[in-house]
Amino acid sequence: MDATLKTFIIPNELCRRAGIVGTWVRVNELGVFPSQHIKTTNSDSVSLYGPSDASVFNVRQQVVLFEPILRKLVNEANGIFLSVQELMGSNVPDYKSELLKLSRQYRSIIRACLENLQEETVRAKATYKEELQNYITIFYSVECIWHLCEILFVENIPGGIVLPHLLEWVRFHFPKYERNAASLLREDVIGAELQPCYWETVIGSLMQGRIELVQALLEVHSSADGKPFQLAIQTLRTMPLYNIYGGISVSEFNLKWKHWVLDTQSKIEAKMFSSERHLNLVMRLAVGDEVAWGEMQTHREPWYAFLAASLFFKEPTVKAFELGQFARQCIAKVGGAVKMRHLDQVLLASMELDIIQVIKEIQQMSENGWFVSHLVDLLYHAGRLEGLYSDETKVIGSRLRESFLLDYGTLLMGHHSLWQVGLNYLDHCPTEGLSTIELLLPALPLKSEARTQKIIREAHKRDMPQIVQSICKVHTMDSISKGRLGNALTWGLKSQDGGFTSLIADKFLRKYKETGVLLNEDLLDNLGSSMLISDRLIFLGKYFEFHKEYRLKNYKEAANILISLLASKLTPRYFWDTLLCDAINLLENNVMVISSTDTYTLLHSLEEKCELPELKDKIDLIRLGAARNLSRALLYEMQLDKKYT
Amino acid sequence: MVQNVHGTYISEKINKIRWRPDAFSYSYAFVTGSWDNDSQNSIKLWRFEEGDDMDIFPFTIQSFPFQGDITEIKFINPDFCVASSSIGSLSYLKFTTVHKGDTQITQENRWEKIHKFKNNDNSSCTGFASYNNDIASVGEDGCINLLNVEHKNVIRSLNEADSSCLNCVTFLKHSEILTGNSRGQMKIWDLRSEDVKPCSTFMLSPDQVASTCLTYHPTQRHIVIAGDEEGSLTVWDLRQNTFPVNLLSAHSESVAEIQFHPDHPDQMFSCSFSGELWHWITNKSSFHGGKLLDVSEVEINPWSSTDQAKNKFEVFMLMPKLHKPINSIDLNYNRVLCGCDNEALYLIDNINIYN
Amino acid sequence: MFEAQEVNAEHKDLIHDVAYDFYGERMATCSSDQYVKVWDQNSEGKWNLTSSWKAHSGSVWKVTWAHPEFGQVLATCSFDRTAAVWEELVGETPGPGERGTRHWVRRTNLVDSRTSVTDVKFGPRTQGLQLATCSADGVIRIYEAPDVMNLSQWTLQHEIQCKLSCSCLTWNPSLSKNHPLMLAVGSDDTNLSAGGKVFIYEYSDNIRRWIKTDTIASVTDPVHDIAFSPNLGRSFHLLAIATKDVRIISLAPIPDNANTQSGLNKLDIQTAAQFDDHGCMVWRVCWNITGTILASSGDDGCVRMFKMNYINAWKPVAVLKGDGSHISNEGHRSSVSSAASLPTPPMAAVSQTARYIKLGTISQSREAPWH
Repeated sequence: MDATLKTFIIPNELCRRAGIVGTWVRVNELGVFPSQHIKTTNSDSVSLYGPSDASVFNVRQQVVLFEPILRKLVNEANGIFLSVQELMGSNVPDYKSELLKLSRQYRSIIRACLENLQEETVRAKATYKEELQNYITIFYSVECIWHLCEILFVENIPGGIVLPHLLEWVRFHFPKYERNAASLLREDVIGAELQPCYWETVIGSLMQGRIELVQALLEVHSSADGKPFQLAIQTLRTMPLYNIYGGISVSEFNLKWKHWVLDTQSKIEAKMFSSERHLNLVMRLAVGDEVAWGEMQTHREPWYAFLAASLFFKEPTVKAFELGQFARQCIAKVGGAVKMRHLDQVLLASMELDIIQVIKEIQQMSENGWFVSHLVDLLYHAGRLEGLYSDETKVIGSRLRESFLLDYGTLLMGHHSLWQVGLNYLDHCPTEGLSTIELLLPALPLKSEARTQKIIREAHKRDMPQIVQSICKVHTMDSISKGRLGNALTWGLKSQDGGFTSLIADKFLRKYKETGVLLNEDLLDNLGSSMLISDRLIFLGKYFEFHKEYRLKNYKEAANILISLLASKLTPRYFWDTLLCDAINLLENNVMVISSTDTYTLLHSLEEKCELPELKDKIDLIRLGAARNLSRALLYEMQLDKKYT
Repeated sequence: MVQNVHGTYISEKINKIRWRPDAFSYSYAFVTGSWDNDSQNSIKLWRFEEGDDMDIFPFTIQSFPFQGDITEIKFINPDFCVASSSIGSLSYLKFTTVHKGDTQITQENRWEKIHKFKNNDNSSCTGFASYNNDIASVGEDGCINLLNVEHKNVIRSLNEADSSCLNCVTFLKHSEILTGNSRGQMKIWDLRSEDVKPCSTFMLSPDQVASTCLTYHPTQRHIVIAGDEEGSLTVWDLRQNTFPVNLLSAHSESVAEIQFHPDHPDQMFSCSFSGELWHWITNKSSFHGGKLLDVSEVEINPWSSTDQAKNKFEVFMLMPKLHKPINSIDLNYNRVLCGCDNEALYLIDNINIYN
Repeated sequence: MFEAQEVNAEHKDLIHDVAYDFYGERMATCSSDQYVKVWDQNSEGKWNLTSSWKAHSGSVWKVTWAHPEFGQVLATCSFDRTAAVWEELVGETPGPGERGTRHWVRRTNLVDSRTSVTDVKFGPRTQGLQLATCSADGVIRIYEAPDVMNLSQWTLQHEIQCKLSCSCLTWNPSLSKNHPLMLAVGSDDTNLSAGGKVFIYEYSDNIRRWIKTDTIASVTDPVHDIAFSPNLGRSFHLLAIATKDVRIISLAPIPDNANTQSGLNKLDIQTAAQFDDHGCMVWRVCWNITGTILASSGDDGCVRMFKMNYINAWKPVAVLKGDGSHISNEGHRSSVSSAASLPTPPMAAVSQTARYIKLGTISQSREAPWH
């Protein structure tokens, strides 16, 4: 096991001597510090290492995708990923061809990214340049593998005749010959063969199966009018090319092909091209002459380019499932098995249609799972993850896909800015996506209210009221520590937790008791129906109304509110004395504002609360005021009664 | 001419996008302000040229590093803009053309940490409004700061003006501003008054829905529209009273910005966190034969007429719905820019404004 | 590939515990020097010391954060037989890093234990503010603050006798209402014949008591650390144990088998994974936020990481090891993160930028796949 594991070194001597302990910081970061276990029952003394200079190391995974230049890839691919999910959810009958289009879109963004990287490399300096070149290597491989996988696993190839696609793939990734040919043909100079790249280009084009281009190139040779050239051009023109739509069967084609080969071989044997050494080689290659091909193997081309070329001239009707065996033969021939690079391994696995091996290999590309997540998702939707086996156990495609999406989504959720993108991937993990979001979303640092609002909206959209509530409570506590009690109440209300809101309302009431000032009146004035969430808040809201009316000298209204508060069961214990003291002013008011019934109510609650120590020195005063007001009120009410009877 | 959408990925989420005005003609330069970056945000100046194939490729001319999220950018004139940050500061930036095509951004003035909490923590400056050289900024701290671009110091601070977080502000006249907070309270402040008290307060909605953005009608400043976190637009005619004259339920999530076309007030643009970018056109058939609105036509201003409001607008989606919030829009003649959380900006040209 | 930022912890002796807050933006450290320190990460990623105080009169073993719903709250436990709850107050005068001066006030001192308090942990946030402690004499105590805005009032709700010396405890973080409150406690008693060293306690709503529902019989060696995995909506719980090896135990409530009195289900206990990669005593185990990677620390001086693949099989994925012999100055200089090379904005102090060092490796083989 250990042999395949990488060990990373914390560059610190104390860490080596004492040993280390790791604690997670967040998704992608681990805190590591020097520590040694001490048995807690031993005597408490300075350790072997003290006094020491202990450091904490915050270790994080380096993520290349977070580099600005690669972040475009993250965001653009996210758009395509979402289109794939929409497509699969929308019941389109012809979804396979749509999937192919989306696969090509993925490739086009890799292409754009590579071009971008190349432009940047020109401008960049030393170390950064190296880094960029490293990215180019990675993403060039990604593009190359993706393209092949697209041909073999996503594209619906008529009759399984894979060669034309394979050639197209080789041409796309080795555009050198096409470029050279274009410049050779553009120059009107006679004697293109004087250009050093002439024959290399002719043979390169031939190997990529561009027969027409070869003819055109031969035409610009200064001896093109000579007999050997004319014959060669003529012969190549009659070369049969297999086309699935050509109207002839494979066996008919094979017959035609054999006939052409025999005919051409006889021309070669008749030494009709031997006056032109290179031309002769071209013709020998065209008929699949083993000796000529043997010479070609030392060519600098990688094996897969060579494979496509040899299939073109030897097995033009090869089927996809036969590709692996030819690939192995080809690798053996070029003697490449020993120097197989990682890219070669993946391409070979693809040609052997070993999807599990492809997936295993591409996980090791250092682009943090961007490639494997998107490709596996695509292959899953293309139905290519069914019935696969890994180490003799059946692979459940949906779970394989989900595990990659979970990892990739979690990685992005760990980024300060890309968390919204991460959510999109977790959303499409049917079994563990939502619970992962439930863990990660509330752990996003809140910072500004604008950011908090965006996080809350995401929780709302996924119907996670618990998360919304928790975030609102955190913001409430934060506002309290910032000395913004009003804003704390605003957030407390958003939390929809009555008990919690009561605790904030308590803070307002206690502050009032301390200072005689009701804070944040603009807010209290506009509580509206939101106050119904908590009894304590209703009390606070009503108490504020009492103050408002009192200040406006609407004593009658103020008195009504006060009495209703006394009669209600809402008054907190610590606030009784305040409330009863407020009553004194109204009882002593010049104009009578409290009716006899209300005075009884007041007296009743006074008797109930007379045990309260803080009321001790006020109780007589209140009783006196109440008695006086009662007599006033009774007298007045009596007169009133008389008037109406 | 066909309407075209050109997208560019810029590797940072865009919170604000603004055309750099050109006094005489179409603008070919704009600025973006980022947010939520892990270490540092930036204000970038962009230019674009139209290729033969009608395609548009914006490129960065200058990048100005910025601490905190950029919460608002406004050009005072073609060479100066003000930008505010989530760490409570505002900057006055100058754009100088050094030589052909090369422009420098320099900081002419900075009002450091003018929004902060009692415990000295930074408070976000959530936005500001400008009136000539005067600026009114608002923040999470509930404070309103009055500045002038020519003055180094804050001219006046209305501390704790609001108990909740102030989200948006606009000038109603030179001496009067309107603010909106996270409880949906709209407050009018007379800047000449000594008191730290609004001269009037009214509600965006009875349910305390937060207001998110504010704008006024280009020719009739007393007509004000606010967007809210539920995606609705509320219209007031402040000359009459403070009851909304119109309520348009529009987007499915927070309205991020609303903007009238300055020359064609019958047209409006709005964008939202739901990824929608809409173009509102008043249905002219119901008015005076397609005539553009002017001040004399107060009675029939469609934005503030209450009856059957829905029939008075045609709404066009300028882009297919994005999967991420569109945070900011700006327009210049028949071109709209928008900046989004998918780290892309979109330029839409040839918008059907004129017919 | 990994990179690291070094923060000089300024403790005078070994660090016993480092705890990060819910967002990973604050760090609390404690040491044998009896001090607790709190560090804050600035917007550029650099860690700055914002508070440091002598918290106990003995080694401070553990430090832990409460959920931010309860404000900025820490709990510590110590050799001095006490556990303490601390709350941060922020003053109006400017302190270091342009923020207000902050200091931590001891809200309560829990003095019920007669021996060293070995672990302290806050309960799940949905249960209000609860705190569990365990001590060397084998007592588990559960405290509660009934008013979350007033942390000076704590009541001792439950006292559970465990018989064996307790070294560590963990709350089950499951948010599901179907699961009763659950605690697991480990003992470092060295007597193998004393039987299982991990005990599972569950709270019965019916009888309002904590009940020992199980003992993990398969773990008889001393246990030094224990941690429940964050629950991803699974029906079973995962418990990591640091003993002579790394153990991952699954606990699945057996349905329709509730005890008539307590209403609690019996558990089906299985070993999900067992790793002796350390080859020696394991001291600490720690789950990442999603419970997909376990980090363990052992006497071999290594931190080892284990990851679960898509068929729920656990595999080692990476190892960290301390080694000071390869430090070259050059390495340090070239390690300045790219952020530092950007033009600095006006007013920003250059020293505020975090520096990351690329970590070297000692094994040249390919990275193991994560699946």
